[in-house]
Amino acid sequence: MKKTVDVSIPLGPMHPCWKEPVRIKCETAGERVLRTEIELGYMKKGIERIMRGRPWQEVMFLAERVCGICSVIHNMVFIETMEKISDIAVPPRAAYLRVVVNELDRMASHILANFSYCYTIEHETLAMYLLNIRETVLDNLERITGSRINTAYMIPGGVRFDLLPEDAAVMLADLMKVEEEMKRYTRIFETGPLIALRSKGIGYMNREEAIRAHTVGPTARASGVEDSDLRLCHPTYQALGFTQVTRTEGDNFARVMVRFQEVFQSIDLIRKCVDTLPEGPIRGGGLCKAGTASYSGEAPRGELTYTITTDDYGRVVDITIRTPSIMNVEACAHAMISEATSIADVTSTFISSDPCIACNER
Amino acid sequence: MKYLYEKDLRQMKYNILTSTRHDETVRAVAQRLGMSDAKLRRALIQKLDMSFLENLESRWQMGQKHADNGDPVAEELGCELFTRFIPLVDTEAMQTIYSDTTAMAQNTPLDEAIRRGKERIREAILS
Repeated sequence: MKKTVDVSIPLGPMHPCWKEPVRIKCETAGERVLRTEIELGYMKKGIERIMRGRPWQEVMFLAERVCGICSVIHNMVFIETMEKISDIAVPPRAAYLRVVVNELDRMASHILANFSYCYTIEHETLAMYLLNIRETVLDNLERITGSRINTAYMIPGGVRFDLLPEDAAVMLADLMKVEEEMKRYTRIFETGPLIALRSKGIGYMNREEAIRAHTVGPTARASGVEDSDLRLCHPTYQALGFTQVTRTEGDNFARVMVRFQEVFQSIDLIRKCVDTLPEGPIRGGGLCKAGTASYSGEAPRGELTYTITTDDYGRVVDITIRTPSIMNVEACAHAMISEATSIADVTSTFISSDPCIACNER
Repeated sequence: MKYLYEKDLRQMKYNILTSTRHDETVRAVAQRLGMSDAKLRRALIQKLDMSFLENLESRWQMGQKHADNGDPVAEELGCELFTRFIPLVDTEAMQTIYSDTTAMAQNTPLDEAIRRGKERIREAILS
């Protein structure tokens, strides 16, 4: 970084507020942040290189290990890219079950992101409440898929397990509890005067800046970027009548509130899926063929894109993964944190964009 | 004084820029600017941080869609593209180049004015 002032404050790579190692170098003039620079490279996995040359059956398990928080969507986008290459159709029941599992994963991810934010602004009570309710969501994920995190639930042409009626009943009862509790937590967040002091008007990013950096997911939606949710283009979500949550404030408060609102939206989507779950098989079958395709899905953090080339034996010849955190972390460092009026807001602003360094470094 | 925690990031930045998608983007940007890939890579490594390099592809795509819509001179020079989307040139320097190019276009053919403007942009990037 070219020095413009004497005071350069490094935050990280090991910081109590970070979930993963990353270093933010801030140049400051007094309390005011003038410039920031992100230093990555503390947890590079080289997972794309590991994937190359392997059969899709192995890559499927590697894909969900790109990120430990939103592993279901990595599984889903990888499988849907393979289906696009091979023209494999998915039975309607399996398509609905994919939405159920994906939305449970989104809820777990959003609740964890909001926990991290509350923890960073030192509202530990709300943070712990959120972490506690996340367990209920993960329990349901485990009940359906057999695993809490790396579920490997989706396979080309369907899903691995059906949703049993008794499991569906327990899940709906749990979701009712989650909804009630989340309403209370959202009210605490919305009306807390100290939360407002640390969140409203802090880490502001306008719509133009969000578009310029190709910000995606709740970070873009909190800055008023329309049509930034890829679920709007997904046929199953379209059938469920999905609409995008958008706010215009563009600050830390808006980003956290978008996630709270999306948790309620996910609960509604799961209910709709269970109510209208079509009868029929959960696996259609199919053969993975040679070809190239690029496919994007809406991860909890935003647009996730897989570009895959396969050969006749179903081996992944080439693969590139563009994760949402690449765009969001960059926008956060150069649009939200730069020009921050207080160095104390750097950590909370960074966490408000829900950065995933594992995704960023792949 | 050299701090222990200050690492040389050039190799890691180079690795980012030579991955499949980033390499394609670097080649496209270099072609647009009319300079060699290696020179552009060096300028990118010097001027931008790691997260910016990771996001280069998205910024380039958004720049193609949204930058400099309307003004043909600004569009040809990439005034917004190379200052706000991919900040390789200072805004003031680009403004000067743009003003000079527009003035030059009154007396000389537009192609010639833009060619000279692009030359000055390349100099600004490599300076």
